[in-house]
Amino acid sequence: MKRLSLLAIIAAVLVLGSLAGFASEYMLGIGFTLFMYIALAQSWVILSGMTGYISLGHVVFFGSGAYVFVLLWGLVPVWLGVAISGLVVGIGALIIGYPVLRVRGPYFVILSFGLAELVKNLVLINDARLYKSLRPVFGAPPLEQLYLSMFILAVIATALTYWVRRSRFGAGLRSIREDEGAAETIGVLVARLKLFAFALSAIIPSMVGAIFIMRSGIFQPGDAFNPIVSFTMVTMAIIGGSDDAPGPFLGVAFLVILQELLWVNWPEVYMIILGALLIGFVLFMPTGIYGWLSERLARSRQNAS
Amino acid sequence: MLLEISDVQKRFGGLVALQGIDFSVEEGETLGIMGANGAGKTTLFSLIAGHAKPSQGKITLAGQQIDGMRPDQINALGIARTYQIVRPFRGLTVLENVAAGALYGSRQEKDMQRANDFAMEILSVVGLEGRTNDLAGNLTLAGFKRLELAKALATGPKILLLDEVMAGLTPNEVNEAIAIIETCKQKYSLTVIIIEHVMKALMRMCERIVVLHHGEMIAMGAPDKIAEDDAVIQAYLGAEK
Repeated sequence: MKRLSLLAIIAAVLVLGSLAGFASEYMLGIGFTLFMYIALAQSWVILSGMTGYISLGHVVFFGSGAYVFVLLWGLVPVWLGVAISGLVVGIGALIIGYPVLRVRGPYFVILSFGLAELVKNLVLINDARLYKSLRPVFGAPPLEQLYLSMFILAVIATALTYWVRRSRFGAGLRSIREDEGAAETIGVLVARLKLFAFALSAIIPSMVGAIFIMRSGIFQPGDAFNPIVSFTMVTMAIIGGSDDAPGPFLGVAFLVILQELLWVNWPEVYMIILGALLIGFVLFMPTGIYGWLSERLARSRQNAS
Repeated sequence: MLLEISDVQKRFGGLVALQGIDFSVEEGETLGIMGANGAGKTTLFSLIAGHAKPSQGKITLAGQQIDGMRPDQINALGIARTYQIVRPFRGLTVLENVAAGALYGSRQEKDMQRANDFAMEILSVVGLEGRTNDLAGNLTLAGFKRLELAKALATGPKILLLDEVMAGLTPNEVNEAIAIIETCKQKYSLTVIIIEHVMKALMRMCERIVVLHHGEMIAMGAPDKIAEDDAVIQAYLGAEK
């Protein structure tokens, strides 16, 4: 059973990866968005799903990564630029996380949201000072390469969440989520673990941001730090289930399909439906689709035995 | 002396919660702490476990000063506490709760499998082996109390601080709890400090008892001496006129 699902995963990875070779532009575009959100939602889960520190401003890493990348554009090779974005934002997260993670609960949620807005405005002010309202990115790699790189990030992010969830590190993070004081009492180094999770959940979104900018062809602070990206990430993770790697996967698939259906026909109700879904899931299915499914499965297995 | 508490005082603003606390605990001993509500028993545990700093005085573990350290550092040195108001990780399974203790604490187990094995061993000692995969939030009160104990034990302590692990249990459950604690003490060569309102339990388990009253130590000694101590009787039953 376990070997079979591993084989299925490897096959899926190969098929999806090789799609870059022959799929249509439209399909690659959808795949790009799909993998982008998988990478983002998985990264969000590493911080917020595991520690319970709900970040409502995760776009800050996405936008900062994009900004660092665009500043480096033309100065370093493209993929080196992406890697440097990840590194710079990761280190930045370590520094900013230290004070930010001292705040808990709803205050952290507000702070994370505010942080994203703050960084956006700093970038806006800086660019205004330099008379640069838009920063175009000319000569980006073709869509096939962007698709493939986004795909790789999605795979890495998923593997990372899967590993964290089963590791000693993850056990510490999840105990922090349940009761931070009690976690400290059994020897969990809460401050260090939270900080590490914060930085870890920042790196991939910043690289995603860098690649996203190549696809859109232009850096605009309003787009790169768009709060909707944060909200979508959270919604996907919560709808899918935020306690393990399959959750965000299901959530992203569900929402991207919904988006494709709604965006085309009723774009004005899309956000309303997103909100209604989020409320519904939080109230009635707090463990998400995956949590609900695995609970079901466990119960039927218990009944069978 | 394993643990020494020297002339400790704790003030919360103008309120003196503890004053002149001075006793030591020998390795392998079971020391009881008794006193009415608000006498400062839990505060004393918080000071030992690092959740609060003494305003005055010193606490040492095997000669090393530990007051002022963080709870996780003190736990890593081998002091584990349970909470009177239980604090299980409700969203995790019973096994995950206990394994977390083994992974951190003073054991610092790096391997998940070994942590799980050790957690299983402890769960069978405290009698929760049948509920390993249930969510901790679904346990009964007696279950919570056992889980509290299991989590603390899993960290691999030398000294175990038990804060009213028997409160709210039925007489039957109290007997079981006493047996479990005695077993653990033998099996893991523990030193135990126990806060308890159930007098019978204290009398049976402890070599010595410290009595707190309004934040001060009014008596210390063997259980039978404590039961006859005038100051204790006065504090509990009021002065005889």
